[in-house]
Amino acid sequence: MIVKEFRQLRRDRRTLAMMIVMPVILLIVFGYAASFDVTSIPTVAAGPQAGQAAHLVGKPFHLVGTQPSEGRAWAAQQLRDGHAAVAVVTGNGRPQVLIDGSQLFTAKTAIAALSAAAAKGANPPTGNTGLPSAGTAGQPPADAATGRAAFGAAPAVTVLYNPGLGTSDIMIPGLAGVVLVFVGTIITSLGVVRERQSGTLEQLAVMPLKPRDVFLGKIVPYFAVAAVDLAIVVGVGVSLFGVPFRGSLAVLALGALLFLFVTLGIGVLISSVSENQGQAIQLSFMVTLPQVLLSGLIFPLSSIAAGVRWISYILPLTYFNEISRGVMLRAEPIGPLWQPFVFLALLGAVVFTLASLRFRAYLAPAAPRRSGGAGSTGTARQPRSTRAAASAGSAGSAP
Amino acid sequence: MTAPGPANGWWGADDLSVRFGGNIALDHVSFRAEPGRVSAVVGGDGAGRTTLLRCLAGALAPASGLIRRPGALVTGYLSAGSGTYPDLSVSENLAFRATAYQIPPATAAERGEELLARAGLDRARDRLAGQLSGGMRQKLGVIAAMLHRPDLLVLDEPTTGVDPVSRSDLWWLIARAAAGGAAVVLATSYLDEAERAHTVLVLDAGAELAKGTPEEIVAAMPGTLTVADTRPAGEAGRRAWRREGRWRVWDPADARGNPSADASGNGPADAPGNGQAVRPDLQDAVTVAALARELARAGAAEESR
Amino acid sequence: MTEVPAQAVAVSRAFGPFVAVDQVDLEVRPGEVVGLLGANGAGKTTLIRLLLGLLRPTAGEIRLFGEPPSRRTRRRIGYVPQSLGLYDDLTLEENLAFSAAVFGEGPEAARLPGPLRRYGGTVVGSLPLGIQRTTAFAAALAHRPDLLVLDEPTSGVDPLARARLWETVAGAAAEGAGVLVTTHYMDEAGECDRLVIMAAGRVVARGTAREITGDAHVSVVESGSWAAAFGALEAAGLPVALVGRTLRVPGAAPDAVRRALGALPATVTSAPATLEERFFQLTLASDTTKGHP
Repeated sequence: MIVKEFRQLRRDRRTLAMMIVMPVILLIVFGYAASFDVTSIPTVAAGPQAGQAAHLVGKPFHLVGTQPSEGRAWAAQQLRDGHAAVAVVTGNGRPQVLIDGSQLFTAKTAIAALSAAAAKGANPPTGNTGLPSAGTAGQPPADAATGRAAFGAAPAVTVLYNPGLGTSDIMIPGLAGVVLVFVGTIITSLGVVRERQSGTLEQLAVMPLKPRDVFLGKIVPYFAVAAVDLAIVVGVGVSLFGVPFRGSLAVLALGALLFLFVTLGIGVLISSVSENQGQAIQLSFMVTLPQVLLSGLIFPLSSIAAGVRWISYILPLTYFNEISRGVMLRAEPIGPLWQPFVFLALLGAVVFTLASLRFRAYLAPAAPRRSGGAGSTGTARQPRSTRAAASAGSAGSAP
Repeated sequence: MTAPGPANGWWGADDLSVRFGGNIALDHVSFRAEPGRVSAVVGGDGAGRTTLLRCLAGALAPASGLIRRPGALVTGYLSAGSGTYPDLSVSENLAFRATAYQIPPATAAERGEELLARAGLDRARDRLAGQLSGGMRQKLGVIAAMLHRPDLLVLDEPTTGVDPVSRSDLWWLIARAAAGGAAVVLATSYLDEAERAHTVLVLDAGAELAKGTPEEIVAAMPGTLTVADTRPAGEAGRRAWRREGRWRVWDPADARGNPSADASGNGPADAPGNGQAVRPDLQDAVTVAALARELARAGAAEESR
Repeated sequence: MTEVPAQAVAVSRAFGPFVAVDQVDLEVRPGEVVGLLGANGAGKTTLIRLLLGLLRPTAGEIRLFGEPPSRRTRRRIGYVPQSLGLYDDLTLEENLAFSAAVFGEGPEAARLPGPLRRYGGTVVGSLPLGIQRTTAFAAALAHRPDLLVLDEPTSGVDPLARARLWETVAGAAAEGAGVLVTTHYMDEAGECDRLVIMAAGRVVARGTAREITGDAHVSVVESGSWAAAFGALEAAGLPVALVGRTLRVPGAAPDAVRRALGALPATVTSAPATLEERFFQLTLASDTTKGHP
């Protein structure tokens, strides 16, 4: 039995691939790439002391923009549009620090850093006392702790969008994406492969149905199922778990639609290279697992090791997560979300077109190109006998 | 849904060749199916029957040669695996065909009911196709293929592995389709069924082995056939095969034509004595043709050594 | 071998309310070929599974070589199921090596018979059906079983290859094995020493082909307008089969047929039934309550 199983396994290339590829992926992700530690927090500064704030900001905060002429409203908008996770608003009185609660681990790291700074601020190092007033530029402090201390009183910290820093609020929008990946890729690939397994694929090829109709007929139900699933996840999240839905339903729906084009297309592509449901599931799994792990759903994007992060940026789920979190938690309008939308739209167009072409080949791999009509002919006659070919060479005349 | 018949009176293939990679599946095969008649395609596994039928149905493009077939809308096809959805019920399967072939619902319902009733499937109307026995599933497959009254009905082994009772139901359906004017092309492994067809094409390794009406094929069989109780020794033994517990021995050298009047037939009441000549039936003729080809190939291989 | 290879004594098997096998007696003696015929759903497969020890009877007794089925008796059985029981993703040689090892045979048992040798290294899934069947036979015979059970061994195979498979079967029987075969090819019934016909779980006929066919007759109708005759007989509820240009009615006497035809011009005669037609009659008769199977 053992010998037999090994022999069969040796020929089963897909299972072998899975046996090798899966541990490698998991090793890379968990051993190297994944982390809950946020080392770099994109920060903006607003208000008249924005310039000073620029010098005072240190690790883990990473300044990405300053606007001395703007105030709190602008700062909040930067957070809403995902340009920064923390905003420092200087002006009258205490500086305000806004933190984007929808980026859970980033927010927690920011708060921890600020608390540590506040603790250190009780013993300010010499040379830096009191509020820096206009014109007084102290030595730029070496780290955030002394920098914060230089502001004197602890800044007022407000956590926007997820003040309780709860997990379900940010997981549910992410879950929406996972559901769409699941239905789109795995379920669709099974549904299409089932046709081949039941032996009815050839019947379809012979029927007076356009390949386009067969293709659409195959995937439209899964569009519908995915839409219903999405509605359920969002509905239950909002009503039962109290997850907010602050943004536009239409924007989320459009994002979901584009995302579905991508995932359904991938599902069809997977089935076009699978001979049975087992193979389809294997391949779907190998395609879905990286998305779940590396799309920012569980591990924040910024904390994924740079060497692996490029993978995140080609995964469609990464972009949909931006859309779902942005819309649900931060009421992000479609404008600032143009990047994920464009990416999904382009990827969707490419994948979907490829899928429909592959499906046509899958449906009728050897079908005559011309359809219908009495007396339809095969391709032109080809020279068969070797003798004819040889004489063609010598005589120079076509057979 | 009945279009005028084919221009020259037949659907089929002319000098058809099909290749899969380096493998020749069909080698210059010609075949005609006439409306209102049943044509049988016979041959072992790998002989090319399924390939030929797929070309006729429009699922496969040939490498060279001509296919004459009516459009997809008036072609009915039963692929080798029954072609029905196991997770749909009998009536749901037919409903799908009806819409795919644009049959008006009332017509489809009526015709479906009639065929199901005659095939003994009406009581199984709501049963899932996957839960039907092999014979019943094949009957459903044939009904589904002929529901839209196709001009050309192509059936790939509808009766293989099916019990004799269901087989007779299937033959009723097939005869009914032919009576309705369709050209029926049927692949079968039962030579007694092929005998009921109007024309028979015998394939072997992608090439034509024999072709014509059953009577013509039998008449064209060279040599004579005798029955023996044991396998003859020596060279004659290579020309013998088992059938019904005894041995048929073929002698290619004797004069052609049917054995004399006092030779035994194949009926159950007759038992030819040892060494007595016997009138060949289609199965014998086909076996002889295959055997002759095999011996010729072996002889050529020996000569070239 | 002195024991009887296979014996079923008043065996029944029920699945809930459904009785698949109903008080069946069956015997396979050494050196004989027993043919088991029956429509789908007649209980053939269940009976085979009972004989192989894969199912336990709800009534009656199964004896293999004089004892109830066990792992020891399994060693003496060769079984070729309808699906052949080969591994599609292993080569011919690997398949035979596997079954040889399972049955505790040495490497000689795994050696390929002559005609198969050139296919030895090919994966079974890509071989033609005839070769697959021959391989399945070789795997089942390699350990020289005393009981051979074959479920539709020649389905889908051309006549010449079929004849050769039957040669193998006859060879095994000649060496003393008991063989139980199921088939749908009526002419193969002639290969069997004895036939057992099942319908609706019961044995409805047993004996040689001649004994079973006996004196049964069918009505034969010859008519210029066969389609009309066909329709008339159908309308009367008589089972009709078209053979060549004649119609054969297995279930009715010529008088009944003439009445059904009414005024249609036709000659109605009586002819001896073929085994297939007798089989048909027997199956229909036991099915009167259910109609079509």
